[in-house]
Amino acid sequence: MSIDNFDENKKYQEGFVTELESESFPAGLDEQVVRDLSAIKNEPEWLLEFRLKAFNRWLSMSEPEWGELDYTPVDYQALSYHSAPKKFNKDEIPQEILDTFEKLGVPLHERDALLGLDTEKPKPENLIPTVAVDAVFDSVSVATTFKAELEKHGIVFSSISEAVQSHPDLVKKYLGTVIPYTDNYFATLNSAVFSDGTFCYIPKGVTCPMELNTYFRINARNTGQFERTLIIADEDSYVSYLEGCTAPAYDENTLHAACVELITLDNAEIKYSTVQNWYPGDEDGVGGVYNFVTKRAKCEGKNSKVSWTQVETGSAITWKYPSCILKGEGSVGEFFSVAVTKGKQQADTGTKMIHLGKDTKSTIISKGISFGDSTNTYRGAVKINPGAKDASNYTKCDSLMLQDSRALTIPYVTSQNDSATVEHEASAGKISEEQMYYLATRGFTEDDAISLVVNGFCKDVFQKLPLEFAAEANKLLSVTLEGAVG
Amino acid sequence: MLKLTKYSVEPVFSDIDIEFDIGRTYIVMGANGIGKSTLLHSIMGRPDLEVTGSIEFNGEDISELEVDERARAGMFVGFQSPTSVPGLSNFQFIKQALNTSGPNIRETLEKFKALSHTLGLPQGWDKRNLNTDASGGEKKKNELIQMNMMNTQLAMLDEPDSGLDVDGIKALSKQLNEWRTADNTLIVVTHYEKLIESLNPDAVIVLKKDHVVGGGKELAHKIFAEGFDSV
Repeated sequence: MSIDNFDENKKYQEGFVTELESESFPAGLDEQVVRDLSAIKNEPEWLLEFRLKAFNRWLSMSEPEWGELDYTPVDYQALSYHSAPKKFNKDEIPQEILDTFEKLGVPLHERDALLGLDTEKPKPENLIPTVAVDAVFDSVSVATTFKAELEKHGIVFSSISEAVQSHPDLVKKYLGTVIPYTDNYFATLNSAVFSDGTFCYIPKGVTCPMELNTYFRINARNTGQFERTLIIADEDSYVSYLEGCTAPAYDENTLHAACVELITLDNAEIKYSTVQNWYPGDEDGVGGVYNFVTKRAKCEGKNSKVSWTQVETGSAITWKYPSCILKGEGSVGEFFSVAVTKGKQQADTGTKMIHLGKDTKSTIISKGISFGDSTNTYRGAVKINPGAKDASNYTKCDSLMLQDSRALTIPYVTSQNDSATVEHEASAGKISEEQMYYLATRGFTEDDAISLVVNGFCKDVFQKLPLEFAAEANKLLSVTLEGAVG
Repeated sequence: MLKLTKYSVEPVFSDIDIEFDIGRTYIVMGANGIGKSTLLHSIMGRPDLEVTGSIEFNGEDISELEVDERARAGMFVGFQSPTSVPGLSNFQFIKQALNTSGPNIRETLEKFKALSHTLGLPQGWDKRNLNTDASGGEKKKNELIQMNMMNTQLAMLDEPDSGLDVDGIKALSKQLNEWRTADNTLIVVTHYEKLIESLNPDAVIVLKKDHVVGGGKELAHKIFAEGFDSV
């Protein structure tokens, strides 16, 4: 067992590689690979068909070029589409994997989660766990904690591969209903080759008693990770879901093309928070994760609500627009985002709020921070359809720039109903010399001063994060900002 | 404790010599635009000021020290118009500046609240953002809290009275009188007679273009009566 540290890249502490025997498909993508993938997971016929339809569709599509992104195209034939630890068995998790997640601070033992990460603290009796974890390592889910505890409430929390076996009707009913397999190049590819991800079902009237957390770890070289997550909140239910992700510091680019679908029925609410910390590449832009992600929620039911909160610090390329289709009358969509880019990173991220139902409401708060030679684009669309009487949207986009970085704000607003109100505020600025001097006179170093200003700038969004996650986001931001100005 | 020799900030003033001693209070006066603020900020090390000559702090040449290093060595400058940092609360700022953690946080907060109460700042001042949505007087009071809570050995205040109401000025002089000990030094730029009276300074320094005039309190009285050209 050995976990090598990449000393030359200390700023990305999660950049280590776990050495363990894995079984991967040979590189390449054709119909047989899709069939093999489906077979290895022992999938029902309908799912294989879903994959094949997507694959055939994908062959006729081309990669989107409208993003403010400039990157070497992905060679889809050079990737492996499945990689899993050899002879893997969920009841006997290999020590290497346990060590990996421990190093990342993700508790895979229920006992550790109960204790929290602070093992020094005495453990009270009958403590209710605060977080349940599904850990995905390359193409497979390696552990899911507190499944039994959650089952008592009727909550299904498992990897999507397991859900296909245990709850095929639910998966079949909802998979691809928010993001159809024809949606876009990356979503279509994902529909054909998705590996693993999380499935959650919160039954009617249930408030999920703990945070549900999926942690994605890419480890294998030259492997694509195609996460597929599906969360259904039935009537009058509530769940807060957290997602974290990291990858080793490889010189090659790694592809992560995910699809996340959320569905809320009447009066249900999903709070979805992401801390995205994929390997961003080195200072010269070598390596890093290509993060091409389609995330979308459908507020199907009356007065239902979805909040997307994201803190994006990683990835060489980010292409991601967590969106809401506000169908149910009085439904609410929110998007709160902090995106930090430095070095050669490029982020093109934002949201789409599609208002279909009456009295639907959306709020967008986006904070972009860019350093060095990076590009940080907010791209958002607010669409009020003719039927969306009295719909309202509020959008606020702020960018903070340092050095030679670029920040772009591209909002699209279409309103087809006169009774709708749409508000848009935007600001762009730099950290002033005056602020830096003032903070220096109080003893703050340059790094600490920047960190203070940036944290303050992001406050409206950080306040939306679940408590434990907010501390993590703060820490991540400080690490990201360290030495960003040199 | 602070010694300036052949000290110049081009093109503002040149060749001045001043020595500030420990345990003393100084008033700095001078005509508008003569460079009183520049003097204080140059001592603090503001990077855009071109300083020549020598500057010693506690017997050490500090000309190469950065602003933050000077601050950590015990220097403090109170701004005439303090800068705002949106989203950063007053207490968070103090906490970070002092690097306070764990059980010390409560104690620090108590001290912060007591100080802001004494200065007549509103309830919940700790949670308000640093110098955003604050009046001129409130910002000035906030500078005093910082000066008090940080490990300040040399406090240089740039017109701390401006923007303060009558009660504010009373609180200010009370604070400053309480803060002063035999181990620290206070330099105040002010033209406010009552404040000068109340502080009862050890010396008054009048800044001129290429020299300084030093004296006791009577120097201030003379200026108030006859103007800067009289000294």
